[in-house]
Amino acid sequence: MSYPKLTWLALGGFFLLSSSALTGCVSVAAYQKVYLNDEDMQLANKRIQTYETNVESYREGAGGANGGKVGGGCGCN
Amino acid sequence: MLLPMLGWTQVTPTPNRVDGYGAPATTAPSPANPSNHGETELNILSSYYSQDGNRGAVEGGIGTQQLTDVTPTIILNVPLDSVTRVSANLGMDYYSSASTDRIDQVLSSASSQDTRYHLDLGLARQLADKRTIVGVGGGFSKEYDYTSFNVTGSWARASADGNRELSVAGQAFFDRATLILPIELRVNGGGEHGSGFDTRQSYNLNVVYSQVINRRLQVAVSTELVAQRGLLSTPFHRVYFRETGGNFGTARAELLPRQRYKYPVGLRLNYYATDLLQFRGFYRFYNDNFGITAHTLELEAPVKVTPFFVLYPFYRYHTQTAANYFAPYLDHSISDQYFTSDYDLAAFSANKIGLGVRYSPVYGIGRFKTPFKGRVAKFKALEVRYAYYRQSVGLTANLISADLSFTMP
Repeated sequence: MSYPKLTWLALGGFFLLSSSALTGCVSVAAYQKVYLNDEDMQLANKRIQTYETNVESYREGAGGANGGKVGGGCGCN
Repeated sequence: MLLPMLGWTQVTPTPNRVDGYGAPATTAPSPANPSNHGETELNILSSYYSQDGNRGAVEGGIGTQQLTDVTPTIILNVPLDSVTRVSANLGMDYYSSASTDRIDQVLSSASSQDTRYHLDLGLARQLADKRTIVGVGGGFSKEYDYTSFNVTGSWARASADGNRELSVAGQAFFDRATLILPIELRVNGGGEHGSGFDTRQSYNLNVVYSQVINRRLQVAVSTELVAQRGLLSTPFHRVYFRETGGNFGTARAELLPRQRYKYPVGLRLNYYATDLLQFRGFYRFYNDNFGITAHTLELEAPVKVTPFFVLYPFYRYHTQTAANYFAPYLDHSISDQYFTSDYDLAAFSANKIGLGVRYSPVYGIGRFKTPFKGRVAKFKALEVRYAYYRQSVGLTANLISADLSFTMP
C-alpha cells in the first residue's frame, strides 16, 4: 500500500474511532470510577516514560502530540 | 545536548508531565485536585541511555552515532494551600558523544563529554469553581553551546460530572546557540568555534480533549501545534555533495529553512479489561512543512500480578517519510538550496519493545525521618523500565529508567 493511501486510511480510521467513541459515551458517576481511577488508566504518558519520549523526539524528525520535547535544547548529537 | 528535561506546574494527584516544557500532557490529566491530600511529593528519576549506529550527521551521514547519556532528575511538588501548588524540576544530562569529537577530525578522547543543567519552576491554582485550573511557569537549561529559556501558561476545565475535560496550554522557548562549525569550514581558522551565535524561537500550542466513554474506557484527542523560527540546522553537521567528492574541505555545513511548522494529532485510548489486565493505546499522525509525514502506534498492557505489583510489556512502532531536504552521503547536489544528511530526518521505521515493573504497596515500601523538623517521609513506590529501540537505518539503543516516589505529609 502506498504511503499516501496509508496516511488517508489512518486519518479516516482515527476520526471514525474518535467520533464513534465520543458519541457513544455514557455518564459515569464519581463512585463508578473505580476502574477509571486506576493508575494504569491515566490518560498520559507515565512519568518514567518521559526520557524515552524525549529521545524519540530527537531521533525521529516527527515529534509532538505525545508529551515529548519539541523546542528548546539542542539534541544535535 | 540530548534530552532537555524541563519542568512544569503539575497539579494533578498523579503528576505525569515532567519532561516538560510547561504545557500539560497532551493527554488528559487526572481529575483536578491541587491539594493532592496536602502531601509534598518528591520523585527521583534517573535514566541510562546508550545508542550506536553508523549514520552520524557530524560526518555527513556516515559517522558513528555512539552516545551515552545519564540523567538524574529531581521533581518536587509542594502544596502551598488547598488550591495552590508549586513545582520544581531540577536535573542534569551527562552525556558522552563519540560523534562530537569528529567536529575537529581529531579525537581528543574516547568521546566528547558535556553536561546539561536544567531548572524549571511552576505555579498552579484551582479556581473557585473547583473545575478550572490555571498555571504559569518558566525555566531554563544550559549546556556548553546552547542556552534555552521558556515561559508557559495553561488552562484546564473539567465538566461538572468530571467526564470531560478540555485543556489548553501555550509555551514559548527562546534559545541561543553557539555556532560551532566543522574545523575545515571555519573562516581563517575561526577560533575555537567557527564564529558567532544564533537564536531560535519555538511556540507550542497544546490542546487536549478527554472523554470518559464508560466505566472501563476513556479517550483523549490531542494536538500540539508548533511554530519554530531561527536556527533550525546544526552547523557542525557536515554535508558532502556528489559533485565534490567526500574529501574533507569540500563539505558544507548543514542548512535548513529557518521556519518550521508541525501539525501532529494524537488519540489515546485506555481500556480496563479485567482486574488483571488493562490496555493502553496511542496513535499519532504527524505532518510538517519539512515534508515529513509519520504514523506512530504505541501499545501497553499492564498486568497486575498483585494489586501492588504490576508488570507492563509495551511496544511502539513508528514510520516516517524523509524531509524534503534530506539526502544520504554524496547524494546532495551542490545546487540544492537546503541540505542535510541527518538521519533523524530520513525515511525509516522504528520499533521499540520493553518491559516495566512497578511496586507500590498501599502503605508504602518504607518510612524514614527527614531533616525537616523530623517529619517522616514515605518511600511510596518504585518503578523500573527497560526499552530496546531499533531503526531500520541501523540505529539501535538501550534505555533503562527508574522512578522512586516519596511523599511527606
